Amino acid sequence: MKASHRVRFEVVAILLALFFLLPFYWLVQSTTKDVGQLMQGTFVPGSPNHFIDNLTGVFAYNHGMFIHWLVNSVLYSGVGSVAGTFFAAMAGFAFRRYRFFGRKLLFILILGFALVPGFATTLPLFIEFKNFHFLNTAWSVIVPSVLNVFGVYLMAVYWNQVPEEMFDAAMMDGTRETSIFLRIGLPTIMPGVTTVLLLSFVAIWNNYFLALIMLNRYEVFPLILGITTISSASGWPVYNLTLMGAFLTALPLLILFTTLQRFLAPQLTGSIK
Amino acid sequence: MRRFQTIKAYLFLSPFLVFFIIVTAYPVLYGGYLSLFGQHGAKMWFVGLSNFKAAFTDPLFWQGFGMPVFLLLVQVPGMIVIAIFIGLLYERIRHSVVYRLIFYLPYALPGVVAGILWSYIFSQSMSPLVALWNLFGVAKPIFITLSSVRWVLLIIILWEWTGYTSLIIYSTLVSIPKEYGEAAQMDGATWFKVAYYIKVPLLRNTVFVLFIFNSIGAMQVFNEPRMINILLTLPQNYTPAMYLYNQAFAYGSFTYSIAMGLVLAAVIFVISFFFMRQSMNELDVHA
Repeated sequence: MKASHRVRFEVVAILLALFFLLPFYWLVQSTTKDVGQLMQGTFVPGSPNHFIDNLTGVFAYNHGMFIHWLVNSVLYSGVGSVAGTFFAAMAGFAFRRYRFFGRKLLFILILGFALVPGFATTLPLFIEFKNFHFLNTAWSVIVPSVLNVFGVYLMAVYWNQVPEEMFDAAMMDGTRETSIFLRIGLPTIMPGVTTVLLLSFVAIWNNYFLALIMLNRYEVFPLILGITTISSASGWPVYNLTLMGAFLTALPLLILFTTLQRFLAPQLTGSIK
Repeated sequence: MRRFQTIKAYLFLSPFLVFFIIVTAYPVLYGGYLSLFGQHGAKMWFVGLSNFKAAFTDPLFWQGFGMPVFLLLVQVPGMIVIAIFIGLLYERIRHSVVYRLIFYLPYALPGVVAGILWSYIFSQSMSPLVALWNLFGVAKPIFITLSSVRWVLLIIILWEWTGYTSLIIYSTLVSIPKEYGEAAQMDGATWFKVAYYIKVPLLRNTVFVLFIFNSIGAMQVFNEPRMINILLTLPQNYTPAMYLYNQAFAYGSFTYSIAMGLVLAAVIFVISFFFMRQSMNELDVHA
């Protein structure tokens, strides 16, 4: 290929990179500004630098509500992703290992119901949880988060890569099914387990709609909902604290994506915007 | 033997199935049941299909589809074309690993945070773009207003999903044997010709799947416009999802909202089905 071509491609790539990075840069530099500096609309960090003020400001907001939100986010995403991934691995194992009654029908049923959009299921779920007196509790977010239908599908794919001989050998040794699953199966598909775990952690961390529907008490909000409610006593948005909150909400995800990228290759999941 | 297998299988499936029933299967059926009732506050009475009749004749509901249709016609095809170009670009540039990470990074940002960021960036009060545009000599910067908001939304969604899409395209591209392109290049084909005539046609399946998933996504847009709504009051029916939400939580019409949710689900189902059949036909013709 001609050198001039190559240069042209590199220039396009750099321009695209600038476009994709611009909001990240703007977010980071915004965390150093107070409201007055934000209103000046510049691309350079605030002088004097208000990063520490904003940080302490966000943690002091509404008597330390941010800590609650952070703990809730970790709790919801942690419990939801670990339990959900484990149950998905078990279900995937069942589909791989056994020829059971209703196998095909069940798989089709699961995928079919999974196509029903969240907007059609969340409202009836809201009424269901209202009847259970689940609303405004951690359960109302954790229980739906544990369900990972796409995880079952991915797990079935990963389990199919485990050779039959591996199970047969374990059977010969008289190993029980639960040990085959836990001691032989899971370690073999560990990369797949990690992928499903990380993807579901991120998905739960970012799930704004579910929390918006189920919760209206500040103490049980996760970060993603909490940061959208940061406002002054008279109800106006507080831009500098909202931006600092947004930065802190996104930071763990950005760290995850840059360090564990090999587990987070894009999967063709339905894109829920 | 088979019975043992069935028992064991359902033991392994049971935790998942319990959650599946509570969170998906039962709500879908329960939603279908609730949609047959009129409701005011806690009072409910049977009305048959009149909620659906109301939804079909509710102009506010159907006007809400303007935004998804705009995305379907402009954003989805535009993004896929750009993503194919970027996918091909990865094969042509140095340090493509770094670029792949950078372009993927917006996907790591929650839609809510992306919505907050971009609406601030385009806001009259905080926009840093005035300085940027002055730099390039553009006199009149674009701010977020009721008439420009769809373009802002377009930029947000393109920004969030183009890199992700380009990586999916790229993963298909790398599975194409190198010899295909090389042979053509030997025969004097330019880079563009190799890309257009050899590689792009092989992306057909991937592109169809992307079309389906992105159309489903376009029908459900909610987070980004809801964040814009904090700075700029949007109509309650700006998207079908927003209308559903507002009908339920601002106006308290839960059963009507549930009925509209089922209509939305049906629309999504028809679109997926249409694309699915279309892709089947295409494959038959070219197979």
